[in-house]
Amino acid sequence: MAENNNTPVEFKNDDFILVQENSKIFDKKFETKPTTFLKDAFKRFVKNKSSVVAAIILAILILLALIVPVVSKANIEVPNSAEKFLAPKLFKAGTGFWDGTRKFQHIVYDTVNEVPAVSDKYSVDTIKSALISINPATEPESVDVVSPYGHGGSVVIETEVETASEENNVFLYSQPVDFTAADNFVVEIVFSSDTKISEGDETETTPEEGEEPEPEEEEEFNGVSAPGQFRVYLKGVGDDETEIIIRDFSKDYSTINFNISEALAEAGLSDFRGTINFEVKAANGARQFVLVKSLKLTVNDDVKDKIAAKDADNNDVTLGDYLEGISFDDATAMVLITKRTAGKAIDNVGYWACTGRKGIHAASVYYCDYVIDTYMLAYGKADPVTYSKADLDRWIEAGWCTYDSKVGIESFVKLSDECPIDEVVSQRTNKITGKLLEIEGTGWKYHKMGYSEMPKFILGTDVSGFDLFKRAFAGLRTSLLLGVITAAFCFVFGLVWGSISGYFGGNVDLAMERFCELLGGVPWIVIMTLAILHLGNNFGTFILALCMTGWMGTAARTRTQFYRFKGREYVLASRTLGSSDMRLIFKHILPNSMGTIITSSILMVPSVIFSEATLAYLHLGLQGKQSFGIMMANNQQFLGVYPYLVIFPAVIMALIMISFNLFGNGLRDAFNPSLKGSD
Amino acid sequence: MGKYVLKRIVLAFMMAFIILSVTFILVKLLPFERPIGGDAQQIAYFDKQFHLGYVFRFNVEKPELGRLLYKSPADHGVSNYYYQVPVFQQYGNWLRNIITKWDWGVSKTYMPNVAASTIIMKRIGYTIRLNIFAVLFSVPTGILLGIWAALKKNKITDHIISTMVMVFISIPSFVLISFVIRIFGYDLQWLPTSWPPDSASWGVRASGYIIPVFCLSFGSVCYYCRYIRAELCEVMESEYLLLARTKGLTRRQAIVRHALKNALVPIFPVMLSEFIGLLGGSMVLEQLYGIPGIGKLFVLSLGYKDYDILFVDMAIFTTMSLLFGILVDLSYGFIDPRIRMGAKK
Repeated sequence: MAENNNTPVEFKNDDFILVQENSKIFDKKFETKPTTFLKDAFKRFVKNKSSVVAAIILAILILLALIVPVVSKANIEVPNSAEKFLAPKLFKAGTGFWDGTRKFQHIVYDTVNEVPAVSDKYSVDTIKSALISINPATEPESVDVVSPYGHGGSVVIETEVETASEENNVFLYSQPVDFTAADNFVVEIVFSSDTKISEGDETETTPEEGEEPEPEEEEEFNGVSAPGQFRVYLKGVGDDETEIIIRDFSKDYSTINFNISEALAEAGLSDFRGTINFEVKAANGARQFVLVKSLKLTVNDDVKDKIAAKDADNNDVTLGDYLEGISFDDATAMVLITKRTAGKAIDNVGYWACTGRKGIHAASVYYCDYVIDTYMLAYGKADPVTYSKADLDRWIEAGWCTYDSKVGIESFVKLSDECPIDEVVSQRTNKITGKLLEIEGTGWKYHKMGYSEMPKFILGTDVSGFDLFKRAFAGLRTSLLLGVITAAFCFVFGLVWGSISGYFGGNVDLAMERFCELLGGVPWIVIMTLAILHLGNNFGTFILALCMTGWMGTAARTRTQFYRFKGREYVLASRTLGSSDMRLIFKHILPNSMGTIITSSILMVPSVIFSEATLAYLHLGLQGKQSFGIMMANNQQFLGVYPYLVIFPAVIMALIMISFNLFGNGLRDAFNPSLKGSD
Repeated sequence: MGKYVLKRIVLAFMMAFIILSVTFILVKLLPFERPIGGDAQQIAYFDKQFHLGYVFRFNVEKPELGRLLYKSPADHGVSNYYYQVPVFQQYGNWLRNIITKWDWGVSKTYMPNVAASTIIMKRIGYTIRLNIFAVLFSVPTGILLGIWAALKKNKITDHIISTMVMVFISIPSFVLISFVIRIFGYDLQWLPTSWPPDSASWGVRASGYIIPVFCLSFGSVCYYCRYIRAELCEVMESEYLLLARTKGLTRRQAIVRHALKNALVPIFPVMLSEFIGLLGGSMVLEQLYGIPGIGKLFVLSLGYKDYDILFVDMAIFTTMSLLFGILVDLSYGFIDPRIRMGAKK
């Protein structure tokens, strides 16, 4: 064996045989299907279920943003207060869900008309036609507010200062009176001795649609309110200094039955003209009050007739008015009368005047819960209007409608949209000749607003009466446009910048990097603000400012990719074959890093939407175009009362963000070259 | 190392200088807004500006100097005319004033004749406090959630946490705060619906922090959670952890002693960059919750067109983000010994 090692091996030509000497070699066909990078990426993308779902949602939202603003005829340019705050409506009213109705709780109930007390804005008929359901409370509640729909209770006469002094310890509650001693006037006053009254607002604010009850800025008063000393007396008017005390200062709240005529006789007066006064004494550290439940002034029946005869000459005041003016059973009604005529002369019969605080205590008010169709309120039948026969004849002549007065109101047929009424409610004819004099007609309000049928807003309307659905998607379209333009610009510019910086390296890279750092060191909000202040908040400024801050991310990413790939062997190989810099950059390095860069550019779109909304919240929003951010920022204030105005845009915003993020993640994985081929 | 730190600080200082200079010039180029108030206040304002070198004062009208800013009422038959100094000259004077007097200008319309630094100092406390609380809340919460998700990887807990993170990271903070205020402020009435005044009781003021801190830190919590989960998952599959297990450590020991230590290293720089994000986010939040911090001041000064205050406010935001930028950069080297700062490539 050892010897063999030393023997040199000799090879002869015969030792070698040529393999495949006489056969031709062809490329073998691939057993797997050929695939491109994009196809492979797509295959991997489809495997990621959440990304696909996100992509579909995204596609739907983008389609809606493109289609809705064009197709929808809803007005989003001119504010229309009649259509404001309509509830979202998808189904028929009354189905109970998403049906354009709104539920109200604990609203004052109008017991006369049996509707909620909102009639200062709508007529009772309109409310009745719009009511879906109403549920009045069976028991009235006792509240310390003056409400036109309340009744009963006691009048509160309260001092307005907490400290007693010479000048201000008198709080008069007075009513002019005119008595004759012989007439046998008897006054009966019932007090209430409740020890607690609340600092009720003087007027009951009827629940207005859409207004949050704002906290009243009450003057600071930390003391207590307590029943105080009071007196009731008659005081002469003018020079007449007569004072007849009915009850002197005391805390006696028992009922008073006082014969005024007797007192006058005792004082030696035949008649008396003056005022009846309640006076509350101010006290240190507490507001003092007295509660008057009712006051009744009676007079002999024969005297009534006598005075009535006397009153016949005097048109101003009749005894009936007179007694009524002084007497009251229903404290609420009495206070309401005085309230409505506040500022009128004190001499007027029937109006009590007060120098202190005047209010109501323990009035009973019925409350109700109800559901109302907001669309019927806004678009329902208008209140009937009277038209003359001439009007009607003109309409018939013009061919707008037909009507036969002999048949009656059923015979009305509307033929043209120009006819101002849709229905005849009643007609009036001459009783003798039977000729038509005038008709009362009504029409759907939506016809007058230019709709051919009752409108329906899926997401409701906002404070300006704009369709939220159209507004949201019109705003989204602007935002998406902004995002796409910005992303495209940043993509191109960042790519060029990053390529140059990454490929050449050295001093070029250093200088370019420092510039990026400098620009990147300024918070984006500062750049945006300065740009907006100098150039105005229009679409162009937004693009400019967003691009100024956005491209650096792409540039940095491109630069990193270049650093990663430029030293690879295949680049070296290409370089040794004499490729130019351009060829190396665009043919060899860029394609490898494209995936990540594209993904990051797509993810710029949601961040631009986000930035636009943020600026709107800082009152720097985009003007002159529908803006999603401004819509959201404006609706923010209605969060407490109309949450749908915030919820729907927020959901759309969140959906866009989530689907963009998921879609972007899926895309990044799909484009990741290291995952290529791994199934 | 020391040399590198010094280099970074000098560089950051230069950057701050350049950025603030450009911002100052851009702000000064905006149309001049007259201060509000009567003649006495106007004269006080313009005289101060004259002494600081931002306006000219003459006894006669000089139309060649551009727009007349203010003409004082005649005193002994002589009126003072005020004109704007050219912007670059103002810039020079501004630098001088800052270096010699630390004078950052006065408010014109928001709080006339009050020094900008006074206004800022009064408000900055709220913003800083809020942000620090947010960090104190978000870091532990985020890390714990992240660890939990990573340890239960691909189980139901992980899926729930990851989905929640995905959802909440996508919802902008101003949307979130609307709902939080609505639910906890109005509907349940557990928390104040806006920032309680300083005169409120201790308890109310403390509860006033809950909503803003929660909303401010929500994004960060999600971010930390996602970051820690990814980091920990990677470490868990590494070979040294396998070695640790094979040498006999229990799973718990291996995770606490080896995995967590390595996974937590990169969180600090992330934390600082998140803090910068918080500062930006607090601007909208302060606006929505009525917090009297410097973010609200930004909006207010914009509304009042009080550009001097706006400038100082922007300067603070810029300086803060630069400052934290350095800290982030340096922290890499301090915390992770594997990275050598300033090393040649």
